[in-house]
Amino acid sequence: MSVSPIDVLIFAPLAPLFGVLLFWFIQLLFIESQKYQLSKIWEKHKPFCRFTNLLGIIYQTFCHALGYTVTKSGISNFFISVDYGKVDPKKEKKGIFEWTSNAFLFVGPFFIPPLLLTIFFVIISENRLEIAQSIEYSFAEGMINFGSNLFSFSENLFILLSNIDLLHPPHIVFLLFLIFLGMGIRPSYIVQEKQKKVNMLYDLYNIKVHIFKKPIYIIVLILFVYIFSYISVLLNTNWYVLLFSIFGWLSIIAIVSIIIAHSIILLIKITDKFSRFQKILTFLTLPISYGLMRVVLLFILPNEYIASASILVMLISTVLVVFLLLKIRTNKFKTTSKMKGLRVEDGPKRNIRK
Amino acid sequence: MDQNEILENEQVEKILSPHPLSFMKLQSLCLFLIIWGVLVGWLVNFSEFKDLFFGNPWFPVLAWGLVLLLVGVIASLLTIQWSIFFLFLGIFAGGLSLMLWQNWLGDSGIFIPFFSVAVSIVGFLIVELFRRSHKYIITNFRVVFRGGVVTKRERTLRYDKITDIDAKQGVLGQIFGFGTIIPISQSGFGLGSDKSFAAGGVQLGSKKIGLLGLFGGGKEVQTPRARTYYELHGVHPYRDIKKLVENLVQGHVITPYQQEQVAFQKEQVDIQKQMRDLLKKQMGSKEDEDNTES
Repeated sequence: MSVSPIDVLIFAPLAPLFGVLLFWFIQLLFIESQKYQLSKIWEKHKPFCRFTNLLGIIYQTFCHALGYTVTKSGISNFFISVDYGKVDPKKEKKGIFEWTSNAFLFVGPFFIPPLLLTIFFVIISENRLEIAQSIEYSFAEGMINFGSNLFSFSENLFILLSNIDLLHPPHIVFLLFLIFLGMGIRPSYIVQEKQKKVNMLYDLYNIKVHIFKKPIYIIVLILFVYIFSYISVLLNTNWYVLLFSIFGWLSIIAIVSIIIAHSIILLIKITDKFSRFQKILTFLTLPISYGLMRVVLLFILPNEYIASASILVMLISTVLVVFLLLKIRTNKFKTTSKMKGLRVEDGPKRNIRK
Repeated sequence: MDQNEILENEQVEKILSPHPLSFMKLQSLCLFLIIWGVLVGWLVNFSEFKDLFFGNPWFPVLAWGLVLLLVGVIASLLTIQWSIFFLFLGIFAGGLSLMLWQNWLGDSGIFIPFFSVAVSIVGFLIVELFRRSHKYIITNFRVVFRGGVVTKRERTLRYDKITDIDAKQGVLGQIFGFGTIIPISQSGFGLGSDKSFAAGGVQLGSKKIGLLGLFGGGKEVQTPRARTYYELHGVHPYRDIKKLVENLVQGHVITPYQQEQVAFQKEQVDIQKQMRDLLKKQMGSKEDEDNTES
């Protein structure tokens, strides 16, 4: 099948770019949802929220510092606290250097921490990543290859996560980093007083201002992207799609980490309704059920799915305990007594609650 | 604080204890022991490197001990506290002695994690006991610091004797809202010094003629430092306590207007004394004159 030269020259380079943008926006939506959840538990869990703020500020500050290092501006002052981070350059460079260091500050926190975790994942993952090869270099093929690369990565990631061994130190470290990434990956953070509305639109506005501050740089960047695409076509390689696929992988790992962090926040939020003992019981269910299942599968029913079965039992038993306690404690599902029984007549055709 | 310990017109403002996480430096030593002990157990029994440890029963023990002592040296150098090294040395020696005594050297892969966890639990308990021994009483006149598990120590500091207040909050403190406040007294109590020293040896010449040069340098910096039972260590809520102490100190400081008044009164007293002396002198000379006339 012949491919139109217009497709190859103009539209094909846009395919993986659109893919990255799509996943990045999904990542932003998840981040926004997480920020909303955190603001809901702020009053009762200030230390936890402060810890997530600290993680976010660490990522931002290190990315900014990396930006100054890359642009050879140097770092004269580096400061991190729970609600504030600051990096000052040794030399105030203008133009492309300033723009690049700011790009590291605004966009870096979305991609640099996931990059470090992706490297760790590739090291501990036992499966090889399959990279799709380009043949026609069309827009449709670019999209398909980008999707295939993402699928291959996601498959490996889910294989690792579903078989994660919580008695294996590198696996534990990976899981902890994944949770910490999910908790801190956001360019802005929640604060005690709502001084200004800091949300996804605010983040995007910052990035828009940054881009339109120097439109020439973005044109040069797009030109560079096109040139890189043409080089890939001429050399008959898949470098171009692979480069954007890496950004897609980073978004995937970030989204997964945010989902895991989300479920932890949800568990914290739900257990707020429980008594102190019930709360401890819920959180103890996680290690106890996992440990028991490991012992059972190791000595009584040995099989090859020890890690994944233990994880599954741990999650199911925790969910069951939460549902059971929720039902006992809060009557959330309205099953203990009928609503009609809770009302008494206080006059003709009128009822009030007991 | 007992009722008979309270001074006349004294009111207790707050009774405080350090936050459970404020002794994280000590707790992290126990945490390290657990992590390293479990890691050694995993390396010897389950990891892909377990074959490395099968040759000689001493290998796991040596690996465990070497890392323990190395971390002990590094931690001691960083904190300028050699007790950490000797603590780790003691733990290693204790574990080794127990293994040799009970002939458990062959099962060191199982013994080390269990021993590390047991020692760490004891460590955590001691740290908690030490934390609970601290009590800080803030009254409207003074701050009373108490601490010590076996030997009880107490320090009483009046607000008018406080010259300076040093306050610090680490990362954990910022997260959990606790911090340390060191009141520095006029006598310099609450100040310590950091000293760094570098030394190096240089040998010049061949085997026959050797020259050894030693270069050293010292630097001393005064820094606010006190024992945990002589400072408000890891108090919560940090900001409120800091404000309370600062307000109380401020309340006991003489204002410039009051200083002027005191100086003026002193001047008045001096004048009155001079006048009295003058009067006495005049009276004396009058009496002398009367005596000579008579």
